[in-house]
Amino acid sequence: MRVYHQTGFRDKWNIESFQKGIGDGIIFSPINIDADKLLALEPKLKQTGFLDPQLYLLNEAKGTLDTYPYFPGNIKPDFSTPDLDYSHIQLAELCVDYQVKNDFQYLLIPTRYYADNPSSFFIQSTDYFVTPFCDTVKEKGIDKSILLSVIVKEIMLSDEEKRNEVLNWITGHQDINGVYLIFENNFSTKQVKDFEYLLNVLRFIKVLKDNQLEIHIGYTNTEALIFSITMPASVTMGSYENLRSFGIKRFQELENGRMRAPRARLYSSKLLQWVDYQYIEAMRELMPSYEEYFDDSEYRPLMFEPEYNWHFQKPEPYKHYFHVFNNQIKSLPRRQSERIDFIKTTILNAIELYRNIEKNVLLDDDSNGSHLPTWFNVINAFQKELNG
Amino acid sequence: MIGACKVIKDLPKGGQKTVQLAEHPEVGSVVIKRGEIRSFTSLERIKREVELLSELKSEYYPQQYQFNIEVKKKEFEIVEDYIEGKVLREVMGDYRSSKEIFKLLSSITKGLSIIWNRNIVHRDLKPENIIIRPNGVPCIIDLGIARFIDLESLTKTISPMGPCTPIYAAPEQLTNSKALIDPRTDFFGLGIIALELFLGVHPFDPAVVGNHFSIVENIFQNKYAVESISVTKDSAMVDFASKTLQTQPYNRFRNGTMLNDFIAKYI
Repeated sequence: MRVYHQTGFRDKWNIESFQKGIGDGIIFSPINIDADKLLALEPKLKQTGFLDPQLYLLNEAKGTLDTYPYFPGNIKPDFSTPDLDYSHIQLAELCVDYQVKNDFQYLLIPTRYYADNPSSFFIQSTDYFVTPFCDTVKEKGIDKSILLSVIVKEIMLSDEEKRNEVLNWITGHQDINGVYLIFENNFSTKQVKDFEYLLNVLRFIKVLKDNQLEIHIGYTNTEALIFSITMPASVTMGSYENLRSFGIKRFQELENGRMRAPRARLYSSKLLQWVDYQYIEAMRELMPSYEEYFDDSEYRPLMFEPEYNWHFQKPEPYKHYFHVFNNQIKSLPRRQSERIDFIKTTILNAIELYRNIEKNVLLDDDSNGSHLPTWFNVINAFQKELNG
Repeated sequence: MIGACKVIKDLPKGGQKTVQLAEHPEVGSVVIKRGEIRSFTSLERIKREVELLSELKSEYYPQQYQFNIEVKKKEFEIVEDYIEGKVLREVMGDYRSSKEIFKLLSSITKGLSIIWNRNIVHRDLKPENIIIRPNGVPCIIDLGIARFIDLESLTKTISPMGPCTPIYAAPEQLTNSKALIDPRTDFFGLGIIALELFLGVHPFDPAVVGNHFSIVENIFQNKYAVESISVTKDSAMVDFASKTLQTQPYNRFRNGTMLNDFIAKYI
């Protein structure tokens, strides 16, 4: 299973890590990197990754998105849905051409975002994006795998009719090789703790795997470990929270309200959690062996210096995470049954470690192991269905 | 061409069409079909079928020779190859073991792949629409309600049921879910044919399912038999049914390649 860097703001950190051999490829983000700058990047950085075209909102020119030739506003000012009727082929050609010029490993079919998917969404997506895109690839004789981007909303997992609709739509395309799945995350907690949701995600991915589609899951956080038991082709790791959890706000020009600076956190592969630095400082005071709960990396000595000034904009915690999480994913067994057992054991070990920590330091729900019992139960339930 | 044909005899009617066996001095035995053009839609369907068959030129499909429209009389006539052989319905007993059935299916799907690759769905697969030639090669007939996915749909959205033979139809045809029609719709029909050959009875038939519903109601409820009092179930047939007779298309084989790969394992 591969691990891609989900890039965004401060993609420099991802690129530097990738150049050190961490991660299998990079998913580029047009709102964060100028189109010409991306074209000029050395080929090695692009040949194992891909571009998410980010046409979620047709006419929102967030960041550098309007530097891309396929950005609809460059085809016609004030571009809106009806304009797709006559420009979808041009848009598809521009989008394919730009991706081919960069020589990415995969070609991505863009998708749009709707708060409430209208009933015509799938028909329109086929007509405006999938068909012209695949036709262009065929006509130009391009020999690259095609991935269909799909934003999976919570209702598509919980509502049977919606789930059937989206699964029938995805699996009905004969010219795609796989899917770039983005699960929209509207949870208020740092980790996903919803049993039904997580189990439905696993079932959803399994259907697509049974259809012999290559599955790439974007915007994953620690739950990538749970998703890994469906044997996807790849998961992702990102620096800031909005790259480890998909929300459309990131692509809107005017974000509502002022952004609150998040607290710096450190990922622990042993605890399966990002722990708030204030608890790490408390652990240092109260637990002589506190370092054992965290992984080693070239960044750790600096971060564990008493005078280290924790801040969410410092690179070390994220670069440490890339290193640790990449290793964690690479250490997973290749056989599904063994992987499931391995992750269950990891969760049980983490629960045990939390018991020790909480004898001395109490943690809040975004730093403790409160997600772990649910994760264990989800994996058990999925395992039972697999064996059923 | 039609003028040079000598009519030999009347054949059983095909739908609303009269069918005659005739002899042509150059191409030999032919079939002449005549019928009424009842609407623009029916004319368009006939035209699509004729155009397709004249392009295919494959032993899996009848060769088309001529197509005439009498606008004033609102009639059409088609001259096509006479397919020697027997319809599958008459020779179902020749295919009972799973190996024999998969061998036949392999040949049928080879023929169907030709249209699936053109984004066309037959939509009316049933034993009556497959003629087994003397050399054993199946010839697939009656593409009159085939769905040309790349062309505009001719089915009215408000129709409660899409064009089909209901007892061989996939659930999406029975509910007229037009967006769901693709080759997986034909896989459902093939699943029924395969199990019918194996069991000697329609797998959704209440007599073999053991309930009081109709065949169509059982299709809606996905209740089918994989064994009967006289036929013991076969794991390959059970697996095949589980990947073709699913209510949701996403639970069936995704494409012809996956279907053919499965069949190839058992021949």
